[in-house]
Amino acid sequence: MIRKFVGAVVAALALMAGLWLMIAPFALGTQPENADWTNPTTSEFFTGLGVAIVGLAGALAFAAAIHEELVVRGLVAVRQKKVAEPEPEPVAPAPQSSSAELATLLAPLVEALREDLNRPGEHRQNGKPTLVGVEENR
Amino acid sequence: MKAKVGVSALILLFLAGLWLVAAPFAVGYQPRGAAYADATVNDLWIGGGLAAVSFVALVVYAADALRELAGRGKHVADG
Repeated sequence: MIRKFVGAVVAALALMAGLWLMIAPFALGTQPENADWTNPTTSEFFTGLGVAIVGLAGALAFAAAIHEELVVRGLVAVRQKKVAEPEPEPVAPAPQSSSAELATLLAPLVEALREDLNRPGEHRQNGKPTLVGVEENR
Repeated sequence: MKAKVGVSALILLFLAGLWLVAAPFAVGYQPRGAAYADATVNDLWIGGGLAAVSFVALVVYAADALRELAGRGKHVADG
């Protein structure tokens, strides 16, 4: 573990050294302005570019190795990727089912009407006072 | 596998440090017998430091790996 950490630190330092090498000719003034790159500038720039790339790759590799070891030791939990569950589409109620429900609801009423029609001799007792009127007369 | 990539990077960095130390004389922008130019001083310091630090890191890595191997061998002998 510690050796990988040392490697990651050194690789990160190399990355910074490479970046410095790339800008050093311009920062130190050894590269004249508005002129073609001199030999020292070309050498330092491309060497610095290579050092920076290798340092970055090394730092990433050591960091990945450290992460892998932490996962093996159980100190880091690997996130499980959530599988997106498709949302159930709202099912439109079938028109037949609504009419069937309506028929079921109206069935007792239809039955009562039919019974009324089948007994023509009986008359309804109309003319009774309403409940509201009874309450007001109290 | 990932650690091997890192060790390979350290070896390359060590070689790059050596190249930086040699570059002023190999490329020819440091005249012989003359005072060191700014670019030469920069290359020597950065290259020397890079080579030294990479070498130390490689030594630490090898030492720790050997220590781990020795520990495993001891456990096997005890068992």
